[in-house]
Amino acid sequence: MDVAEKEVLLDPNRTDRVVPARPASPHRPPADVPGAPTPPPFPEENPLRNLRTVFAALVVLALLAGVGLAQKTLTIARPTDPVSLDPHFETTAPGSWVFSQILEPLITVNQQMEIEGRLATDWEFIDDTRLRFTLRQGVTFHDGTPFNAEAVKYTWDRAWDEDRPGRWKSLAGPVEGIEIVDEFTVDLVARQPYGPLLLTATMPYTGVVSPTAAEEMGDEFGRGPVGTGPFSFVEWRSNDRITLEANDDYWGGRPNLDRVVFRTIPEEGARMLSLRAGEVDMVLMPTPSDLPGLEADPNFTVEGAPGVGVFYLAFNLEREAVSDVRVRQAVAHAIDRELIVEAILEGGGVLATSVIGEPVFGYKDMRLLERYPYDPERARELLEEAGYSRGSDGFMVDENGERLTLELLPSNGRSLKDREIAETLQEFLRQAGIDVEMDIFEWATTFELMRGATLEYDLNSFTWFTTTADADYTMYSNYVSTETPPESWNRWRYANDDVDEWLKAARASLDLDEREELYGMVQDQLAVDLPAIPLYGSYEVAALDASVEGFVAHPIQYLLNLHPVDIVD
Amino acid sequence: MFSYLIRRIFIAVPLLLGVVFIVTASFDLIPGDPAALILGEFASESAVAELREELGLDRPLLVRYVDTVVNVVQGDLGRSLSDRRPVATILGETFPLTAQLAGTAIALVLIIGIPLGLAAATRPGSTVDNVIRVVSLAGLSMPVFWTGLVFMVIFSVNLGWTPVSGVGTWQHLILPSVTLALPSIAVIARMTRSTVLEVLREDFIRTARAKGISERSLLWKHMLRNAMIPIITVLGLQLGQMLGGAVLTETVFAWPGVGRLTVFAIFNRDYPLMQGVVMVLAMVYVGVNLLVDLSYGLFDPRVRYA
Repeated sequence: MDVAEKEVLLDPNRTDRVVPARPASPHRPPADVPGAPTPPPFPEENPLRNLRTVFAALVVLALLAGVGLAQKTLTIARPTDPVSLDPHFETTAPGSWVFSQILEPLITVNQQMEIEGRLATDWEFIDDTRLRFTLRQGVTFHDGTPFNAEAVKYTWDRAWDEDRPGRWKSLAGPVEGIEIVDEFTVDLVARQPYGPLLLTATMPYTGVVSPTAAEEMGDEFGRGPVGTGPFSFVEWRSNDRITLEANDDYWGGRPNLDRVVFRTIPEEGARMLSLRAGEVDMVLMPTPSDLPGLEADPNFTVEGAPGVGVFYLAFNLEREAVSDVRVRQAVAHAIDRELIVEAILEGGGVLATSVIGEPVFGYKDMRLLERYPYDPERARELLEEAGYSRGSDGFMVDENGERLTLELLPSNGRSLKDREIAETLQEFLRQAGIDVEMDIFEWATTFELMRGATLEYDLNSFTWFTTTADADYTMYSNYVSTETPPESWNRWRYANDDVDEWLKAARASLDLDEREELYGMVQDQLAVDLPAIPLYGSYEVAALDASVEGFVAHPIQYLLNLHPVDIVD
Repeated sequence: MFSYLIRRIFIAVPLLLGVVFIVTASFDLIPGDPAALILGEFASESAVAELREELGLDRPLLVRYVDTVVNVVQGDLGRSLSDRRPVATILGETFPLTAQLAGTAIALVLIIGIPLGLAAATRPGSTVDNVIRVVSLAGLSMPVFWTGLVFMVIFSVNLGWTPVSGVGTWQHLILPSVTLALPSIAVIARMTRSTVLEVLREDFIRTARAKGISERSLLWKHMLRNAMIPIITVLGLQLGQMLGGAVLTETVFAWPGVGRLTVFAIFNRDYPLMQGVVMVLAMVYVGVNLLVDLSYGLFDPRVRYA
């Protein structure tokens, strides 16, 4: 796509407001009237009056103190500081938790995964490449800049800037950009019919930025973003805290909270102790094993929701051993997925039922427990059917007497308990007679190997988040045969003509029912072909002080809705 | 003395040049493509290539090294890749916090560690000596992340005396500085004890005693002063280490100091930030060592700087 031809973005003079000079008051007293009696320079000393002044001052002070106490501050602890608060350069949850309070997209998905208007009041497809938004009127940015169609266009153009493209550009699919229809109407245009367009517009990264602030601040925008959201930016002390305050003029009503403080507490134990000591009101990403104790304690509450991420074990179909579907099925039978979720995740994840999470649009249960129940004996039978036989040491061997050995590249330090799960998988597969050799690297190396043009491993584990909550986001890049690394994500070299056709049709269709059916067919096919075994689904959870009310966990890890939250003692 | 100081500062220059070289070169050895990491998991190939160019990662090592040296001499440590702020600004925010923590901890080491060592040394074999030896052994063996958490549970959660973590008031400083100081207190107490015991065996102590000097003045003027040089040396090393950022203490107590900044820079492959941190730390080490060397003269008039 050629995005070089940018239209003139914004006339900076637009935001300049002309303040009319105030007319001189007709009642203004004349300056110096000669002959008027001069008042005494000081009033008479009156001790009682002085006392009264002191008393009044004390009352005022007490009132002020009262106001000070009544300030409702929500303190949130989480493990890491964001890298930037500019949504164009920070696409991880620690950043989004903060900037999505300040910047709002046109539309959003709520905790029930329904689409809600934020800066748009209405939206509809006017043809299959064009989504029209009616914008909210009378909204101003925190810096006073009025919100209008130009601000929306500025935001999207900024992410499409060739010199410094926004990181979420690649998530947006075949999107051309924003076209202004009138001051409060814009079209989001795709290069080709694109069904996921609607959910693309809900991504928190598309939060509309104040064009004046973004132009003025340049790189500094990421240190103090200016938007229209329920909270405005106050201060960021790196690795310590980020402070936001309520936006009194928020179009959706002033938030209940006066301030929100995001504290960075990297150590897990310290984070939970801060909650117990009452120093913080909410802990994001709490220690799973602490949750049952907190739930039982009336001083705390735990809020959770199944998420949009799925941790899976993928097969590299180019490798001979696992290119045989019977071997893949054997692996599936060899793993007790329920035990992994119960014993290792301790409530930090849920049993995965598909390659995409349950809240995602297009999800269909792959009925994996029925198809591939935990059964090591069945696994061995399948391996025998595939031409292996039991060796003297218990491992399966092929006709040449070579031990069946699979090489695993596990996710490490990236997903909850990924390393422990890798070790457990090794043991499960050993019991079915499969020898697993694994290479545990730090994340950077693991990631580079995963994205290589050829994957030198039979197995790879990884969590994939369906960030847009639309099945297309995961399915298209992972399972269309031509979407291979390093450009895309079909690391397993999965190729099925039917699946290719269904996924392309689902992407081009705007009919939600049709799309859902197509994705359902794909998931049924994936359950048969088994290029990957879903292990657990993410569970988004927060531990809270009991005084915090109105918080509902969001299936999308990136989203944190603090507008309705209140602190009630 | 002055010429000695100048000479020492000059010696530091090739040292720092060497540090810059090692830092620049080491990035070539670290696995993982920094540009791909910075841009995240879903970045396109072209975006990655663009960033590599912007960072100069496509240029040869020597060119990169010369550029870095030229910039550093001009006081420009570059911009952080992560938040695009000048590295010097970030260090200016972070270093004072670490200095605060390290300064308090070293003060605790001085006012607790040395008297403990003296108390033990003057009564060798006594109960006091034994208790101090056992306690200091314990102080040495306990890992800071463990002591830190135990302190938190006792003093913050149960007693409510101090904040759990973070920065802000002087109360925030108590737990982390005590936690950080504890192993050093143990080291210095043991060190003081053994050096003072050694000095006690010297002839001049017997002579001094024979002259009828009071035990008090013997202790402070003759013993401690002579024992001070090795103690100061170790203390200097400890201070250097603490200023280098006590990663564990800072992590446990959510203290936004140099230690955590270093870890952040490493994990985010923030090359300019990492270079800045390493260079400043090298300078701090050189500075602390110089101070230690200069302080020898204070305790031992025989030391001459020439």
